[in-house]
Amino acid sequence: MLVARQILRSVLILRSGRFTVFCFLSFFLSSVSYSQDCNSTIAGFIKDESSGESIPYANVFLKELQKGAISDSLGFFRLESVCPGKYHISISHVGCETKELFLGFTKDTTIEVWLDHNSQLLNDVSIIGQRKKSTTQDRQSLNSDLITQNSNRNLATMLENMTGVSTINNGSGISKPVVHGLYGNRLTILNNGVAQSGQQWGVDHSPEIDPLVANRITVVKGVGALEYQGNSLGSVILVEPKKIRSEPHLHGGTRYFFESNGLGNGINLELQQHHKIIAWRVVGTLKKSGDNNTPDYYLRNTGNEEANVALQLEKLWNKKWFSDLYLSSFNAELGVLRGSHIGNLTDLEEAFTRDVPFYTEDEFSYSIDAPYQKVNHHLLKFHTRYNLSKSHWIDFTYSGQYNLRKEFDVRRSGRSDAPALSLEQFTNFLEGKYTNHLANDLELKTGIQYNRVDNANLPETGVIPLIPDYISNEYGVFGLVTKRIKKVSIEFGGRYDYEQRNVATISNRVPRTIVRHQNDYHNISGVLGFSYDFLKSWNLSYNIGYAARNPEVNELYSKGLHQGVSGIEEGDPNLAQENSLKNTLSLKGKVKGRLFFESLVYYQEINNYIFLNPQDEFRLTIRGAFPVFKYEQTDARLVGFDMAATYKVTEAIEVIGKYSYLHGYDKGNMIPLVYMPANNLYGELNYRLPKWGKFRNVEFQLNYKYVFEQKNLLPSQDFVPAPKAYDLVGAKISIERQWSKLGLKLFIRGENLLNNRYRDYLNRQRYFADDLGFNVIVGINMSF
Amino acid sequence: MKIINLSPLVAMLILMSVSSCKKDEPKDPVIPNEEEVITTLHYTLTPNNGGAPVKLTFQDLDGDGGNPPTISKGVLDANTTYLGSLELLNEIESPAKSLTKEIEEEADEHQFFFNTTVKDLSISYADKDANSKPIGLVTSLSTKGRATGKITIILKHEPNKNASGVSDGIIDNAGGETDIEVSFDIEVR
Repeated sequence: MLVARQILRSVLILRSGRFTVFCFLSFFLSSVSYSQDCNSTIAGFIKDESSGESIPYANVFLKELQKGAISDSLGFFRLESVCPGKYHISISHVGCETKELFLGFTKDTTIEVWLDHNSQLLNDVSIIGQRKKSTTQDRQSLNSDLITQNSNRNLATMLENMTGVSTINNGSGISKPVVHGLYGNRLTILNNGVAQSGQQWGVDHSPEIDPLVANRITVVKGVGALEYQGNSLGSVILVEPKKIRSEPHLHGGTRYFFESNGLGNGINLELQQHHKIIAWRVVGTLKKSGDNNTPDYYLRNTGNEEANVALQLEKLWNKKWFSDLYLSSFNAELGVLRGSHIGNLTDLEEAFTRDVPFYTEDEFSYSIDAPYQKVNHHLLKFHTRYNLSKSHWIDFTYSGQYNLRKEFDVRRSGRSDAPALSLEQFTNFLEGKYTNHLANDLELKTGIQYNRVDNANLPETGVIPLIPDYISNEYGVFGLVTKRIKKVSIEFGGRYDYEQRNVATISNRVPRTIVRHQNDYHNISGVLGFSYDFLKSWNLSYNIGYAARNPEVNELYSKGLHQGVSGIEEGDPNLAQENSLKNTLSLKGKVKGRLFFESLVYYQEINNYIFLNPQDEFRLTIRGAFPVFKYEQTDARLVGFDMAATYKVTEAIEVIGKYSYLHGYDKGNMIPLVYMPANNLYGELNYRLPKWGKFRNVEFQLNYKYVFEQKNLLPSQDFVPAPKAYDLVGAKISIERQWSKLGLKLFIRGENLLNNRYRDYLNRQRYFADDLGFNVIVGINMSF
Repeated sequence: MKIINLSPLVAMLILMSVSSCKKDEPKDPVIPNEEEVITTLHYTLTPNNGGAPVKLTFQDLDGDGGNPPTISKGVLDANTTYLGSLELLNEIESPAKSLTKEIEEEADEHQFFFNTTVKDLSISYADKDANSKPIGLVTSLSTKGRATGKITIILKHEPNKNASGVSDGIIDNAGGETDIEVSFDIEVR
């Protein structure tokens, strides 16, 4: 019956990420010979991009004719009485990213559509092997629907409900992600394939990325960083902007949200067109929020403001050459709780005894005064690919980053207007990469990289800087091989890095002089992984990786008072590299089509683990006595497991349960490791309807989170004991409606519905104030 | 043909090797002008009935960290009233700069507190800001019998000067950030 068969495949999948899902948009059309005008049928199958399973109850909508259909239990749908022509078709499903197609047909047509299912769970259960890129790494992602519904959050807090992922916060606006207990310089964040280079010194520096630019955020929990330069000792977070849709019309969308806690507002605009000359996409975000509140009082000066923009250009020069350009600018002002700005240890101890922090006001305010942070981050990435043939190609990437961080403190005599910390950082990165997909499922990838970081203090502060000026030059080579033999995937690779760093510090004795240091580091890393598919829908993966991290300049050379943490911090210029060996073992599977589960066990040994060790010493300054912390090295061990399960009670009702456990141990000193996330439980009850009146994809959700008390901690390791266990109840309702030109999504989400008072161990603000109370977020998302 | 295709890689290699030859060092950092740092506190006690003044000094010439501070001891006469005056200096700057004026100019945002463990020694405020609240740059100190102990001087920035007890020199409800907290050993004889 098949007369013609056409494979349309967007070959423009040229993001440099190793984990890019290949078949971003791939479907084929097959035409059937008998057909008449306006009596044609479009039919098709809808499948999950990553698992290959059919998706029932998905909505298919032919915009020009306002004609809709819902897929049946086999994922099959049918649209009848359609005239031949060109049409926009939108395919949506609760929990999936809506797929927009533009296709022309002349006859009865059958299409196959692959949806990007929100894959926090079971991302990689492979049934149809070809659809996914074989990897032995454990990955979880958020798709653009979930990013939209969490648009009031920042990059780190968006990921919070994934197993094994937590956040270190400084209040509500400043958060950095923690994966399997590692954060900051031990965790690599890739923004559109570029390793984010910014000021990641303290726990109070959040990554300078607008998550609303991304349409997918992925956490790779194995040993995923081998292809990337940097210091990752394990996990990687990928922030991936949307590919430009391959169709000639102008499309776009807008997202708006309001949140009750902090009276926050945010708007996000997006426009894109795959024009003949060049494909382009522009995204912009504006956000503003004021003082947050706990169940009992306002948190003064906790507002923040953000203005971000990103431009994406793609050009297919000819069959062989493809280039893309990405420009983004992130600009934020983040308020810090006024009552958390303290002078000395006495102030800190006094703060512990207070129910309500000092400076608390009865009135809500949007104003941001000292202490606050002002952060700008600009990124330019240029990438070009040359296809030597269909199966092997060369990628060339340049990226430049500029990061400017200013922190303003409460100071005397109008000096609050001058930052107390002012750092700028230029990063230039060059990469050449060669990829070859050889016959018999063998893939080879190799590349060379060069990275230069120039970090300088601006002298406007009037304060001796804690972080010295430096220039670092880093050179790397890597090679990776992936091989698939029937049901087994094998992955192995290695990399070598050389870093030379020249540092200029200012002495902490008078007269002030400049003291120069040079650091040289040679590092070798390696990874080995296996993945085995069995029993049709089960998968067992094992991954082992060896990696190193060079000591950072703050760990080597900081000397002086870190007022924010009420301590004198002293670096040690003789610190050696950290070496890590991480093992992950994961088992995923499906039982009787109803129960999906995923479990991951990890065991990580880090030798020469660098940490701030409190000394039995107080140092007298004119502000009083301060405890002394020294950067020291020990051998650390991180052991944990993540578990998640989904049970489909019926096609409409689904229950999800998750549990994360982590135990950190300092083997050298035989004590617990500090700053490890507390164990936690998370549950979700979802009720989903494909259609409800004129609305589609209606979803009701109730969720519950229980965070245990961090008991793996000695009293001497903190100023106050870790906070008690707490629980949070949340809910969400989302609905969609589609017109011929306009798609509409609405959601309402509630956080901490019981208005519980709580403090979190990883939130530094816990010393001073409770965490956030009741919050309702209302959002609207329109697309055309 | 293939060589041409690899040209970006070659260019990159060249660039990398060139850049690795020269020593890539940061410029000399600008040593910031630390005008805000308080290195020195003088508490000068002049007996009301005449006689040599007693000077209590806390001095930390390189600021926080570095070398430890030097702190003087004070010997006071029994049954005597002194006029106490505070002077703050930044001696990193040359010549040394007085910061007392900065406190005077922002008197409503600052207050000194005096705590003592010396028996029968009392310190009271002898100055006022624009809102008639005490500052503590000028004080009156009186002694009675022989005793030993400590005087602790605390400077708070942005305290709540209206909170209960604060204008009587009770620090408990003051809040604010501690800019200075120094203690002197005192002997009254």
